[in-house]
Amino acid sequence: MPYAIELTGITKRFPGVVANEQVSLAVEVGEIHAICGENGAGKSTLMKILYGMQPADEGAIRVFDKEVHLGSPTDAIAAGIGMVHQHFMLADQLTVLENVILGAEPTRSAGRIDFARARAHLREVGQAYGLTVDPDDRVETLEVGERQRVEIIKVLFRGARILILDEPTAVLVPQEVEELFRNLRGLKSAGTTIIFIDHKLDEVLEVADTITVLRQGRSVATVKPGDVTAPDLAELMIGSELPTAQTIGVTVTDEVALEVKGLTVVEEDGRVVVDDVSLRVRRGEVLGIAGVEGNGQAELIAAIIGTAAATAGTILFLGEDVTHATVRHRREAGIGYIPHDRHREGLLLQAPLWESAALGHQTRAPFAKGLFVDRAGARERTEWVRREFDVRTPSVEVATHALSGGNQQKLIVGRELAAEPAVLLAAHPTRGIDVGAQAAVWDDMRAARAAGLATLLVSADLDELIGLSDTIAVMMRGRLVAMLDPATLTARELGAHMTGAGVRGDSR
Amino acid sequence: MSALRRLVLALAAPAAAVGFALVTSSLILLLIGSNPLVAYGDMLEHASKLETLVDILNRATPLYVSGIAVAIAFRMNLFNIGVEGQFLLAFLVAAHAGSLVSLPAALHIAFILVVAMSVGAAYAGAAGVLKVTRGVNEVISTIMLNAIAVSGLVAWLIKEWQAGGSIGTGTTTRVGTAPIDESGLLPDLNGVLELVTRDLRPGKELTGVLVLALVVGVVYHVLVNRTVFGFDLRASGFNPFAARVGGVPPKRMIILAMSISGAVAGLVGMAELMQSGYFPSNPIQGLGYAGIAVALLGRNHPVGIAFGALIFAFLDVSSGVLQFSGAAPREIVVIMQGVIILAAVVAYEMAHRARNREEARSAAAALHEARAEA
Amino acid sequence: MRKKWKALLPAMAVIAFAAAGCGGDEGSGASSDVSVGLVYDIGGRGDQSFNDAAAAGIERAAAELGITFTEASPNDDGSNRGELLQLGADAHNLVIAVGFLFEGDAAKVGAANPETSFAVIDSSMIDWAQDPPAPYGEKIAGLVFAEQQGSFLVGAAAALKSTTGTVGFIGGVRGVGGLIEKFEAGYIAGAKAVNPDIKILSEYITEAPNFDGFNAPDRAKDIALAMYEGGADIVYHAAGGSGAGLFEAAKTQSEASGAKVWGIGVDSDQYNTVDPAVQEYVLTSMLKRVDVAVFEAVKAQIDGTLVGGETRYDLAVDGVGYSTSGGFIDDIAEKLEEFKAQIIDGTIVVPTDPTQA
Repeated sequence: MPYAIELTGITKRFPGVVANEQVSLAVEVGEIHAICGENGAGKSTLMKILYGMQPADEGAIRVFDKEVHLGSPTDAIAAGIGMVHQHFMLADQLTVLENVILGAEPTRSAGRIDFARARAHLREVGQAYGLTVDPDDRVETLEVGERQRVEIIKVLFRGARILILDEPTAVLVPQEVEELFRNLRGLKSAGTTIIFIDHKLDEVLEVADTITVLRQGRSVATVKPGDVTAPDLAELMIGSELPTAQTIGVTVTDEVALEVKGLTVVEEDGRVVVDDVSLRVRRGEVLGIAGVEGNGQAELIAAIIGTAAATAGTILFLGEDVTHATVRHRREAGIGYIPHDRHREGLLLQAPLWESAALGHQTRAPFAKGLFVDRAGARERTEWVRREFDVRTPSVEVATHALSGGNQQKLIVGRELAAEPAVLLAAHPTRGIDVGAQAAVWDDMRAARAAGLATLLVSADLDELIGLSDTIAVMMRGRLVAMLDPATLTARELGAHMTGAGVRGDSR
Repeated sequence: MSALRRLVLALAAPAAAVGFALVTSSLILLLIGSNPLVAYGDMLEHASKLETLVDILNRATPLYVSGIAVAIAFRMNLFNIGVEGQFLLAFLVAAHAGSLVSLPAALHIAFILVVAMSVGAAYAGAAGVLKVTRGVNEVISTIMLNAIAVSGLVAWLIKEWQAGGSIGTGTTTRVGTAPIDESGLLPDLNGVLELVTRDLRPGKELTGVLVLALVVGVVYHVLVNRTVFGFDLRASGFNPFAARVGGVPPKRMIILAMSISGAVAGLVGMAELMQSGYFPSNPIQGLGYAGIAVALLGRNHPVGIAFGALIFAFLDVSSGVLQFSGAAPREIVVIMQGVIILAAVVAYEMAHRARNREEARSAAAALHEARAEA
Repeated sequence: MRKKWKALLPAMAVIAFAAAGCGGDEGSGASSDVSVGLVYDIGGRGDQSFNDAAAAGIERAAAELGITFTEASPNDDGSNRGELLQLGADAHNLVIAVGFLFEGDAAKVGAANPETSFAVIDSSMIDWAQDPPAPYGEKIAGLVFAEQQGSFLVGAAAALKSTTGTVGFIGGVRGVGGLIEKFEAGYIAGAKAVNPDIKILSEYITEAPNFDGFNAPDRAKDIALAMYEGGADIVYHAAGGSGAGLFEAAKTQSEASGAKVWGIGVDSDQYNTVDPAVQEYVLTSMLKRVDVAVFEAVKAQIDGTLVGGETRYDLAVDGVGYSTSGGFIDDIAEKLEEFKAQIIDGTIVVPTDPTQA
């Protein structure tokens, strides 16, 4: 079997750090090749080298048996390599067709865009690879999975025969993941070579033909999925056992920490995004909220933390009506918050770490003394969080953006838990972080639960939901449509509930 | 990264900017047939005179206050272009109010300052209220408010409050608001200065507002960097969404930040008022815009802004001596100011990126070390 | 009429070079050890108006009297007037400041430099706070003009030449110490002296402290067009650089309507300074002989006759007047000379306040 890509001895050094060291990789034509590894293992660097975004210090790249020099993505595209980034690069206001041809417009005379030809070409590409999209849909109306498909088509449209997908499943719900995998198999049968970056082991085992594992910048193993189990892979990745989101024992008390009654949130445009939601979270309990993204989970959390106004209903925190209280009052009263997007809502990226660690707690000790910032106290607390929550950073003075995603997330979790809240609102607490950091976050949440914390957990990671929750509520179109017992639930069943496909008799 | 390296990086940028401006200006001077060394020599020789130093400090004082006013809003990512209108209106109202009352000195001065700050705060606060309630971008609203202040309110009020005017033979003389009693004017600092130097030439006064400006600088630093309010302000500037879930009320912060910025802006005109005692029909204008440049050059840092104000003041004051010595046209100082600003923006961005890279590296190194140990 | 006030742009603004010339032209004939520091108003040389008139005066003095001189102009925000005067005093016997905005600084710097003479254009340099009012200093002269008298004559010319019975006045900036109002008052009085029923449209472009009105030709043009539409056929401006807009408007209106309308210039003989395309619309100009004042001040310095306080330049000494270039008012010259004689002999007293005109 000829190789689509052969990397030999790729080494990339950043001053003080070796990101890739003598990495070798051989990808056969027409296979799905997964690259696994923790965040920071060097996957991204390797892919950037392969896509021409960064030059390698050493090593050779052969594409379709030809030695190539990839100085820029343009070179990579010319060599037949295309990349689908984790964060989509689509213009929401444009149609699918316009997005696909953006930057590669077929033109007629005088620079006019030849839409007819583009449309025909798009149809050909779609048919050849079994990918269906409506070229005239506006991108803003598409679901996440559909957008991803547009991204893939965009790359194929430019003639890519090797497709790099950077953590494509991170943003998808299980049903969409299945759809994606179906599409990938279709692409494969049409002759496309796929390089697939992931750290979700089940998925890798399901879809890949070959798996290469990176650890600390080195390629430590190349295996066939039939020959290994998930725990084997995990061990290869992190050198230790696979963590699971399993909660042990029941710590639920009967003291209600958070009670929401008839909560309704209506957007300015009249859309009802949270519709008559009632729930209770007791001390020592984790209530999981499952649902396809965009079904009101974010707004529910926003209403409880206070950034969205409740149109109707009440929110009781430890018996106190906080429905109309300010965010600051709620935070001071003891509501902790792990936002779903740590960059957008969780951190001050340009500020030093200790200031990010103070955010949300800046009015209270140890971060404040009266009206003044307690700089010594804040640094001390941040050092403590750094130690206790294993935040890896050279110091608490570095700018927050310098940390890796997992360490940023550990900082947020640490900062919230260190304040010993009575209620924790955790939205996707392990999204986009590596297995090691994920395990640490789960441990921390379990410990806090045991200590009596009431947690409202929103997550798209169904294993996480099932593993951590005492009860799971399914949210759809703003309503809680089912209460499920995670003890007797599989991820498949939960996924079915979320899409409304399988509301069978197992709701409590 | 060591504190020393940090400092070097922080100082490298402005030094590079000034250096670049010197080279550029030299080339321009050579091009138009002037000798840059002679020009710079004249500027420095002039600046080394005690009287000129006083001129520089007098000029730097309102520039500094204006720079601080702009910086306060900048720290929250608000662009207060309205310092110009705020300070002129505050200057006028304070001058008029101060002329109406007679109070003991300390009270009289305090009264005038409070009036100036209140007017500035209210006028800038209006832009904040518009942003919060109607979503009007503060850049747009402050530009409009500037026009309303300069061409509308000030023009109208100065007519209402005008004293003096054409007296006697119908030739012009001092026109403006009625003069404030001596008790309302901050004394000059000549006495203090002359303690350490020689006597100043008669008629030269080192403005007492310099002390006020220094106080403003210290208060700015403490408020922004040491108080919880300042934390909220900076957090909102860094990331308004994160600040909001962190308990910072966004609307209140916008109005407060604009108001405080405006209150400081209200003090910009005090340098002129405390010296002349009235609001003239031709106040020195443009200080509000110059403050933007100074704040940019000073990176919103209280000491940096002081440097920026001094550099600008030095250049402004140099324009006269260049003309009289014939060394260079006065426009060269404006060119130098412009080039310094442009170069500073570029140099700061480069230093910022260098620092980011360095931090990312050291964080990555820490990660790997920790791994290696594990 | 002069101040080209510009808000100090953030310094990033693109800078156009106006290479301000330095150094004095050596006189050909006489020579003198008097040296003069000439400090212009904002904008400096090249404003085709006030500053240029002063420059003409000093150059004539250099040529005829053999003095040397140095020139300077203030920063765009006018923040360094006092400094310039001091620098001038450091190296010269006589410092001439162009514009009444120098009044306060000149009084102060003059007091600190009793050996140096000062002359300020457009200010009487009299301290009105003293009782009785007295000059700021023995060697601090104020050179003022009777603009209302010159304006009276062009007002009379306008009324005599008007066929519609309506004339207009455009002021640059209202409220600059009543300075521009003097022009308006004289103009109205002159027009009414000819035709008591004449209709006079009057408008100012901006009000102090907004000095844009001295440099807003586009707005002057709009106002002028509106006045012509409103029936005026002659419009006088006292708006410095904005005046160019007036003459453009006169051309536009004349060509559009077929009936000729006119503009009247100010300060210098604008027939000679405007764009040739609009030359034929300059009926006359009110002359304010800043050049004469500057020359006379230098001469007085040489002769030792410079006096502190006010020196007036009025019709009697030809300090103000009207121009006849183009020959458009030759037919009424006799009438105008009659008015002039009456003003000089005191038969007519021209008001300085428009409300009394």
